[in-house]
Amino acid sequence: MDSADVVVIGAGVSGLSSAYFLAKAGRDVVVVDKGIVGNEASGRNGGMVSERVDEPALIPLAVEATRTWETLADELGHPTEFVQQGRLQVAVTEEEMGALFAERDNALRHGLHAEMVDPGEIRDLIPGITERTLGGLFFAKGGHANTQLAVQAFAWAFQDLGGRLYQNTAVTGFQVSGDRVTSVETTAGPIAADMVVAAAGPQTGLMAGLVGVHIPVAPARVEILATAPLEPLFPLALVGNGLYGHQAVRGNLLFGGGAHEWTDVDLTTEPGKPNTPLIRSIARRLAELLPDLADVPVIRSWAGVVEQAPDYMPIIDILENPSNYVVVTASAHGFGISPATGKVVSDLVLYGETNIDIGGLGLGRFANVKPNWRHQRGWTPAPNRS
Amino acid sequence: MESKPLLVVGAGVAGTAAAIEAARAGVRVTLVDENPIDYSMMRLDVPQFFGRRAADPLPDRDLLLERVVASNDDLAEAEAAGVEVRLGTCVWGAFRNSATSRVLDGPQLGLADAERSWMIKYDRLIVAAGARDLAMSFPGSGMAGVMGANGAHALMSRYQALTSRRMVVLGSGDLGLATAGMAQDCGVEVAAVVDVASSARGDEALVSRLQGAGVELYTSHTVKEAVGSAGEIESVVLVEIDDDCEPVAGTEKVVAADTVCLAIGLVPNVELLGLLGCDLAFQSDLGGWVPDRDDRVRTSVESVFVAGDVAGFHDGMVQDAEIARSQGRLAGLAAAESLGAIAEAEALARSDELQPTAYDAIPADVLSGWRRWHRSLVNAGGMNVFVCQCEAVTRAEVIGLQPPRFLEWESQQAGRRGLRAQSGDEPVNADRVKRLTRAGMGHCQGRLCREQVSLLLADESGADIAEIPCMSYRPPVRPLPLRIMWPHDEPEQVRQEWPKWFSPTHRVLG
Repeated sequence: MDSADVVVIGAGVSGLSSAYFLAKAGRDVVVVDKGIVGNEASGRNGGMVSERVDEPALIPLAVEATRTWETLADELGHPTEFVQQGRLQVAVTEEEMGALFAERDNALRHGLHAEMVDPGEIRDLIPGITERTLGGLFFAKGGHANTQLAVQAFAWAFQDLGGRLYQNTAVTGFQVSGDRVTSVETTAGPIAADMVVAAAGPQTGLMAGLVGVHIPVAPARVEILATAPLEPLFPLALVGNGLYGHQAVRGNLLFGGGAHEWTDVDLTTEPGKPNTPLIRSIARRLAELLPDLADVPVIRSWAGVVEQAPDYMPIIDILENPSNYVVVTASAHGFGISPATGKVVSDLVLYGETNIDIGGLGLGRFANVKPNWRHQRGWTPAPNRS
Repeated sequence: MESKPLLVVGAGVAGTAAAIEAARAGVRVTLVDENPIDYSMMRLDVPQFFGRRAADPLPDRDLLLERVVASNDDLAEAEAAGVEVRLGTCVWGAFRNSATSRVLDGPQLGLADAERSWMIKYDRLIVAAGARDLAMSFPGSGMAGVMGANGAHALMSRYQALTSRRMVVLGSGDLGLATAGMAQDCGVEVAAVVDVASSARGDEALVSRLQGAGVELYTSHTVKEAVGSAGEIESVVLVEIDDDCEPVAGTEKVVAADTVCLAIGLVPNVELLGLLGCDLAFQSDLGGWVPDRDDRVRTSVESVFVAGDVAGFHDGMVQDAEIARSQGRLAGLAAAESLGAIAEAEALARSDELQPTAYDAIPADVLSGWRRWHRSLVNAGGMNVFVCQCEAVTRAEVIGLQPPRFLEWESQQAGRRGLRAQSGDEPVNADRVKRLTRAGMGHCQGRLCREQVSLLLADESGADIAEIPCMSYRPPVRPLPLRIMWPHDEPEQVRQEWPKWFSPTHRVLG
């Protein structure tokens, strides 16, 4: 039988980062995925990187990730297009302005660097931005990267270290003996494993179900659009007017936002990723935000399926039973924090603990979440209307 | 939101025939067509390969509209039959519910004119979106003056705005021969017709006519390069090829021309069908990726029908418009029947009469011809030629999965990966190639490189082209300015409920 020290399920950015750091530590690692590298949420997000001051439990991980991004491409040997020129959140309503002050206070309380900027300074940072901004919050450590290049960089670096990557290989079950998984069953045959890392994103709940464990995550579809490339306008990541996004190094504006849609996925096929007419409303908000650019053509859009835990936060933990099953899923924060996620997961596999504080990310916080929580919350797909 | 019983997309021969047939059966039909298109789109080679040979400035829009109408005799008949005709209206999106998206209260299209966009619902949809030019690169092919047959055809017949003076036509099938003949009729000097095949592939009478008019026919030849200055083509260098598509040294010919017209093939415009989730398959005898359809032109998606070039293009359709017209009528009948306008028995009886014409010509394998052209161009021009002009990506960069050159990436590990068969187990997937190399990510939305990328992947990896997943389609399938995509009809509720990242608000879609 095929075997490995660690089988990582999921060739998204969390799984591949974990696999990379484990291979770097000398472990024999196999990554399996039902599709190909970064073909789901990891390759279809906004590419935002930040210290997440709005999510206190995430700060230690995010700070570590932001530090790691700075040298990541050189370490991996493949480009990530990481640009660290800051992240600017702008307010266009008084309510948003109040939220920015609260976030600034939160940042300072956690020792992070964030400063308020006035509308004049905002226009210096983002030429052509709407006159309607009331103020902004600037994080010097924020930035953005190219999602597909970055996830592929992890994959190739992992393979460069001798890691084995089985694409188009779906997990169909687990062999469990006592309180341990002994092998992972796949469409390419079973793989014996000492440890399993399930980085299955929207499939996290279904995957854990195969070993009889309930992990609450709900899949959701989100959308982003891309314009034709423009001359360099601003290198910052920008959040405002209901959108998040940035100008890619190539020059395209990539912005997303708006209503998502709860959906369902299955274990062996990639979920469809259709866009909806929501992209018109995204286009409108982008034109409102950057009115000088209203004539720029939109040339593309994309959708992706992400997952959300009940508290919108990542989950990183080792199951009690089976005790060699590590779960890692990021509730749509996965791309930005991925370099730290990999380090943490690698630590958990190697040592059973990590120096990075992930105290708020364990499964214990869901002790009172009932199996029907999605229905209770209304986090379920709309009825099928053809 | 507007809602129509039957929408027909594309007012070419097939779409107009479909609209007339359904209207005569008593269906209220709306026929939309994007012509006349804007010069800004022509400059981007959307939707055809215009190669910057459209007159600049174009005649004013009213005159263009007159010409569009005048170039389509069937339109008047459609209007007489009660069809609502909307010209200058493009379809940039098609949306319907699916396993992961259920927010719409019915299938709908995104439409736009020069001023605004809007959504429109339909009960039945006939897609008669035609075909686009198959582009292939050679050194110098990014210069102004390299264009496609459909682009040339549109500029000659529909717009009367082609600025070529002396043209070399690539392709000696009926497509190329008809294009050359039409160019001559428009006063363009046709210097040569070129083909990689060892003899002219098309109609003998057309060949004789062209040769009689002094047009050189170069068979077993390919293009080595186009030469010019200030971004404009001035001449094209042809070279003879052997049976293995290798150029024969010393056989170069320099032909003066300001235009090279690619008439190697046409590719069905399946982007709306892709968005709708219709099953598509690569069929060499039907011009590439085409929708699965039955002999009544019904697709795999209930309520969606296809007709004309979009359902599959082959050279036999160039001379014989009755094929597309019959397919259009089949679509009109099938849609009318499914709406209950005519009885099944009648629809079947009339379909039986149309089917012999609709599927009359014997389609030929196009892939071997594409491959021969492609291989000869690779052999003559090398791998350091841009496949994707918009994003400046070469053949070698596609195959090597190289990061974009503007990153100037260098490392010990760079360049080890790639899609050559001996390079390892990299997945052969055109979408992945697009995201890693940017080939296909430009403003022409991949129109000029999709097939070349697939041919390269197939040739270099050894994969069967039909097994390489079709590069996906995403809305908008026309470049659409933000101010036009902007939903002027957006309800205030959308703004009120717009979430600040994650919060459940299905209601704002719908």
